[in-house]
Amino acid sequence: MRRVVVVGLVLLAVLLAAAPAARAQEVTLEVWSHEADEPAKVAFRELAARNLEKSHPGVKVKITWYEKNPLFAALKTALPAGKGPDVFYLEPDQTEYITAGYIIPLDDLVNWNNIEPWARKVWTHNGKTYGIPQEAYTVELYYNKDALKKLGIDLPANAQFTQAQFLDVVKKARAAGMTPISQGVGDRPYPGAYIAAEALLRKLGPDDYQKLFTGKLSFADPRVVEVLKWVKELVDAGAYPKNFMTLKLGESHYYFYSKPGALMLPMGSFYTGRAFVPEDKGGQPVTFPLGIMQFPAMDRGACNECKTSTIGASFAINAASKQKQLAAEFLNAMSTPEMGKMWIETVYLQTGIKADVKNFTGPHAAYFTELMERQKGEKYFIGQPRDMVTGECKDAFAQVLNSGFPGGLLTVDQTVQMMNKSCYKGQ
Amino acid sequence: MSLGDRLAGFAARAAAPPAIDARRATLGVVVAFLAPALLVYAGFTVYPVLRTFYNAFHTIKPHNVVEFAGLGNFTTLLFADPVFWKAVSNTALFTVVATIVDVAGGLLLALCLFVRAPLAPVLRVVWFTPVLMSYVVVGILWVWIFDYDWGLANATLRWLGLGAYEQSWLGQPSTALWSVLVAHEWKWLGFNMIVFLAALHALPSEVLGAAELDNCGWLAKLVHIIAPMLRPTIVNLLVLSFVGKMMVFDLIWVMTGGGPLWSTETVSTYVYKRAFEWNTFDLGYPSAIAVLWFVIILAFVMLMTRLLRQRDKLEF
Repeated sequence: MRRVVVVGLVLLAVLLAAAPAARAQEVTLEVWSHEADEPAKVAFRELAARNLEKSHPGVKVKITWYEKNPLFAALKTALPAGKGPDVFYLEPDQTEYITAGYIIPLDDLVNWNNIEPWARKVWTHNGKTYGIPQEAYTVELYYNKDALKKLGIDLPANAQFTQAQFLDVVKKARAAGMTPISQGVGDRPYPGAYIAAEALLRKLGPDDYQKLFTGKLSFADPRVVEVLKWVKELVDAGAYPKNFMTLKLGESHYYFYSKPGALMLPMGSFYTGRAFVPEDKGGQPVTFPLGIMQFPAMDRGACNECKTSTIGASFAINAASKQKQLAAEFLNAMSTPEMGKMWIETVYLQTGIKADVKNFTGPHAAYFTELMERQKGEKYFIGQPRDMVTGECKDAFAQVLNSGFPGGLLTVDQTVQMMNKSCYKGQ
Repeated sequence: MSLGDRLAGFAARAAAPPAIDARRATLGVVVAFLAPALLVYAGFTVYPVLRTFYNAFHTIKPHNVVEFAGLGNFTTLLFADPVFWKAVSNTALFTVVATIVDVAGGLLLALCLFVRAPLAPVLRVVWFTPVLMSYVVVGILWVWIFDYDWGLANATLRWLGLGAYEQSWLGQPSTALWSVLVAHEWKWLGFNMIVFLAALHALPSEVLGAAELDNCGWLAKLVHIIAPMLRPTIVNLLVLSFVGKMMVFDLIWVMTGGGPLWSTETVSTYVYKRAFEWNTFDLGYPSAIAVLWFVIILAFVMLMTRLLRQRDKLEF
């Protein structure tokens, strides 16, 4: 018996001694990423990983795929403990990682020549840049061209209805037994506010819009109330599905282009990530007559040509990483012009990476052409309300402006009162 | 027994290894055997609990910078946080109703099976199967059932000609918490049923038989004989059920996320939101909520066990 124990201990010692030697030959770069359910993005990042492995023999890039909420829950426990991956997915509204010092400035580590300056600006705080902006998107109003035609409505030449016309479209769709706007807040704290937020942006203009969501402008401002009253009219006209409260983001896509079908879908241009997958995997039918219109112009709007653009998926480097240079190399591997082109051609989405879109080809080229058409003459406001609100105001935004108000549970007065209570800090 | 047999027995006992006597184990051996379990318990239970208590009285800043906050987190919580109180009232309602339904419903189902109701073997499987499912699966299933457009609940109402009553069950503050309760009961009744069924089968048949001989009616038998004998089981299930409900999280999280308008927010979902969704790394405030809630649960459990304790031991 004793002999067996001795032999076992010797074997264990040999194994332990051998392990560092094995590790010395191979360096593993840990990456945690969201968007496990979007095959094109998974393929994109895995390709970048393999490219880095090829150019750096002995390096292994291990990407762990998460859903968004579990990813951030894991990061919020790992990082304070000095652990976590070398590189991780992050979005620009998560500034707490910067203020906490858990991610490092990338200014001297990354090749910024390959990144669009406007996209870099989103991640720039106090003169330092903290994230690589990979995914860029605009907030768009998708619609079913055939359904609009069926209602006998023509899209104006500038693709933008007035607010009265838009209300009429909603009423006509509902009267025809069609769901006017496919939208749900079952698993996200923001899509229900798309219509209200875009209307507020156009009505107030960028400066006051920013003030509103940073607590410097009251929700009782007459212009805000006017917009909310118009949104309330839409809600009362039955703009949203009856299952608005439980419909999930992915389901709202399917609801729009498949069953039961809807006239419009306000969504970030990341719409393509779910819609442009094969139909048997939940994508839109090949023959679906997808169109893009502008969000409606507000009466006496300060900036009816304004549009929300923002950065979504981004990557940052853990301040506790022991291989920061290698981590930066991975960020560079994801951000070459070739990878940028691949992103556009396979993900069908804008990007913060500089890419030559003139050579754009692919089965969805027409879509991308229309998307670019809708960007002409637009003034971009960079950032969404959820990028600006924090803490209690963020919670109120999710519960009130995103859910309760468009869900028909609140009056305009109640909405103003609740938002002000949580967000308004005075001048 | 012959002398030969005796000698053989003696020889066998002498050759056998000495019997293991745990009481003779040295301290080293005891420690060696207990250490792994104690380490796991200390690391994954004791330390997190102590750390939560510590955090509750501090503001936790990044990079392990800790500032003493005294009772600050608790005063904010108690006097300046309406969402916390909303969460408390929702949790209290959910706990009281679900605990009563859990125990009373479980007992009723168990009695059905105990008296061999028609199709009892099938019903036992049907009623118990949901217990085997995870809350996530149950939550997703019931979100579909409660869906306004294609959900089974509204479809049934329409089929019965009660279309006027169809509604967004999880989308209305007035119905959301009750809808989650229904889903919870569907999943959990079977567990209490099985426990009660086991307890019923363990009851002495002579006592029940004697009651029948005395022409005791079924209700009297239930109230005066079965229920008193089941009292320890009932108390245990009440306490277990109460503690579980006070900490309800997963089903709510999957089905409503605490909405609409905080109408299903529970203390546990609020702790999670404050810890992980408020753009902060400060675990002090959520820890204060957790500590306060722990103390409240502990107090109620002690009160319940004291009030429901059986003073006279039944002998049967």
